[in-house]
Amino acid sequence: MYRYDEFDHAFVAQRVSQFSDQVARRLKGEISEDAFKPLRLMNGVYLQLHAYMLRVAVPYGTLNSRQMHKLAHIARTYDRGYGHFTTRQNIQYNWPALKDMPAILEELAEVEMHAIQTSGNCIRNVTADHFAGAAADEVADPRPYAEILRQWSSVHPEFSFLPRKFKIAVTASERDRAAIQVHDIGLQLKKDGEGRLGFAVWIGGGQGRTPILAKKVNDFLPEADLLSYVTAIMRVYNLHGRRDNKYKARIKILVHETGVEKLSAEIEAEWMHLKDGELTLPEADIAAINAYFAPPALGARAEGWGELAAWKKSDPDFASWVGRNVAPHRHPDYGMVTISLKPIGGIPGDASADQMDAVARLAVEFGHDEIRVTHEQNLVLPHVALADLEPLYRALVAEGLATANAGLITDIIACPGLDYCALANARSIPVAQEISKRFGDAARQAEIGDLKIKISGCINACGHHHVGHIGILGVEKKGAELYQISLGGSGDENASIGQITGRGFEPDQVTDAIETIVDTYLALRTGAEETFIACYRRIGADPFKAALYGGEAQAA
Amino acid sequence: MTVIWTKNGIVDNDPWTADGAEQGPKLLPLSEALEHAQDNAPFGVVLQPADDVATLAPILGRVAIIALTFPAFGDGRGFSQAALIRQRLGYEGELRAVGAVLLDQIPLMLRTGFDSFEVSHAPTIERLKQNRLPGIDLHYQPSVDRTEAGQGYSWRRAAIVNG
Repeated sequence: MYRYDEFDHAFVAQRVSQFSDQVARRLKGEISEDAFKPLRLMNGVYLQLHAYMLRVAVPYGTLNSRQMHKLAHIARTYDRGYGHFTTRQNIQYNWPALKDMPAILEELAEVEMHAIQTSGNCIRNVTADHFAGAAADEVADPRPYAEILRQWSSVHPEFSFLPRKFKIAVTASERDRAAIQVHDIGLQLKKDGEGRLGFAVWIGGGQGRTPILAKKVNDFLPEADLLSYVTAIMRVYNLHGRRDNKYKARIKILVHETGVEKLSAEIEAEWMHLKDGELTLPEADIAAINAYFAPPALGARAEGWGELAAWKKSDPDFASWVGRNVAPHRHPDYGMVTISLKPIGGIPGDASADQMDAVARLAVEFGHDEIRVTHEQNLVLPHVALADLEPLYRALVAEGLATANAGLITDIIACPGLDYCALANARSIPVAQEISKRFGDAARQAEIGDLKIKISGCINACGHHHVGHIGILGVEKKGAELYQISLGGSGDENASIGQITGRGFEPDQVTDAIETIVDTYLALRTGAEETFIACYRRIGADPFKAALYGGEAQAA
Repeated sequence: MTVIWTKNGIVDNDPWTADGAEQGPKLLPLSEALEHAQDNAPFGVVLQPADDVATLAPILGRVAIIALTFPAFGDGRGFSQAALIRQRLGYEGELRAVGAVLLDQIPLMLRTGFDSFEVSHAPTIERLKQNRLPGIDLHYQPSVDRTEAGQGYSWRRAAIVNG
C-alpha cells in the first residue's frame, strides 16, 4: 500500500497546524461560525445532534494493522470505545471533544492518516473496489489511480469551494463493486485493443433527493490524461454548477439541465487546452505509485484445498461462513475474506476498539497486513490462504466478528440517522436492528439469498436507499417518523434507482412490510437461483404493491 | 475599514475603487468596460462570478486592472476565473479579489493568480499586516503561482520562498 514520503509527512503536519490555527482563531472570535464551518468541514469536523463528529479518511478503504490499531486507540482514548465505518470507506467518531481534535489529528499523522476533505464542498475521499489488488476479474489495481487523484485533489487551490461536495470512485472490473454510476465522477479502469490502460469516464451520478445515474462522457481516456481530464470536468463544474440552491448544486443537476452532449463538449473543449500540459502523468510516476501497491508475495498453500473441504464437512457453521464471506482470490490457494460488521441485531458498520485491535492482529497473522473497508460497511482481509481460514474463523468467532451474512438480507447498510445526525428526519439504526433480528435465522437468510437492504434516515440518502434492492427512507410526517419503501435499486454495473412502492409505513410496521415483500419474492421466484433483484426485474412492482397495500395499490 | 493588500504589504492611496469618485480611473463592470475599450483614459474591469472571462480577450491590452468578485465566502468561481485569466488569456497585470475575502482563502487565491486583495475583515487585515498567512507551502498540484517542481512526482510543487 502507499506509504508517505517526506513530502506527505510535511504536508500533513502543516495541514494540522493550519487547522489548529483556524480553531484558535475561531475560539478567539476572529472567525465567525459561518466562515469557520467550511474550514472545519474540510477537515472532517461536523457538529452533530449531541456532539462533534470527526470523520477520518481511509483512502480507497485500504488500511494496515498499525493504522487499525491507531483507530482503535483513538476510539478508546478520545471516544466511547467504538467507531463507525461509513459507506465512503471512512471511519467516523461520534463523541470526540473539539479540544481533542488537534491531538487526534497528530496521532493520525503518526500512522500516515488524516481527516482532510472528508467533508465540505470539495473533492472527497476517493473510493475504490474493496477487493482491489486481489480480485481475479480486475484489469489492473485501481488504487494507484485513486492515490494519484487523492494527492492531486488535496487542498486544491481552484477546487476547494465548489458548488457542492464531489465524490470520485474508481473500479477496475466489469463487475462494479465501487458503485461508480452513483458518483460525481466514476472511473472504470480498462484496456483498449492494444492493451493500454485507460478509463471509461462517467459523470453526474448521485443519490440525495434527486437520484440520477451517471452518464458516460468518455469511453477511453488514456491513463496519462487522467488529471488533465478530471481538471477539465472540475473547472466546468466549478464555473457553471448551480450555486443558488444547495439541493441543485451537484454536478448531476448540471449534467441534467445542460444535457450530457453539450456538457461533455464543454469539458472536451476545456480539456483541449489542458491536454498534454503539465498535468500529463509521466509513465515513470504511474509506475512509481503502482510499485507501492505491488501485491504481497503469496506463496503456494495448496494444502488448504483438502483442509478446507474437511473443515467444512465437520462444521456447518464454518461452511456457511466460507460460503458467504469468502470470495475467490486471483491466487487459487487464497480467498478474500469479508469480516461482517453486521452482527444480528447490531448497529451496521460499528466496531469496538477491541474488535479493531483484533482485526489488526488477525491481518498480521493471516492477511499479509492488509485490511479494507467496504462501502457496504464491512471489513475485508483481501489475502488469506485457504489453509488459514479455519483458525481465522475461530478467532473471529471469539470477537463476535464471524457473522456469515455477506450480501444477505441482514447485511444492511444504514446511515447513523436520528440517533446521531443533525440532518436526519428519522432513525435508521433501530429499523436495521429490528429487520436484522427478524431475519436473523441462518437457514432463513440462506433461503432468501442475495438481497441488499439500504436505509437512510433522510432524503440526503447517506444510507444509499435509492440503490438498495429494498430501500428504506425515513421521513418526518406531522411530527412522526414514517418510512417509504422502494424496490429494484442497484448500485452495481447494472445500476438502477429504486421505485417507491406507495404510502409509507410507521416504525412498528416496517419490518412486517419487509417480510411481506420477501414472502412475495419467495412465492414468485422461479427457483432459488433467481435472486430478489432478478425476480423483481422480471415481474415488476405490481405483485409487491398488491401484497403490501391490497386494493389500495391502484390508488397509490 | 477597507484596505488593499499585496505581497508587498498594505497599499496606500490605491486609485481603484468600484464606486469611484468622478475623478480618477474607473473600475467598470464588464459590459461598460467593453464599451470603453476605445477610450484613452485608463480603466479597470470588475467581473461578477457568472461573467465569462473569455469576453475580456479583445480588451485585455487596454485594461489596467481586473477585479474578480467573491459575493460570498463559499462561492469559489473566482478561483477558476483567475486561473483562466492568467493561463488561458495570458494576462499579466494586476488581478484583485474583492468582496468576501477572508484570511483562509488568500493563500489559495495567491496560488490561482491573484496578486491584490480588497479586505475589510478586521482580524484578516491584522494578520495580513503581520504577514502571517495560513497557507501550506507544499502543493500536490501545479497552479498559476511560481513554484518549484521536482518534488518526487510530476504533479507536486513547493512554494518558492519570497517568490
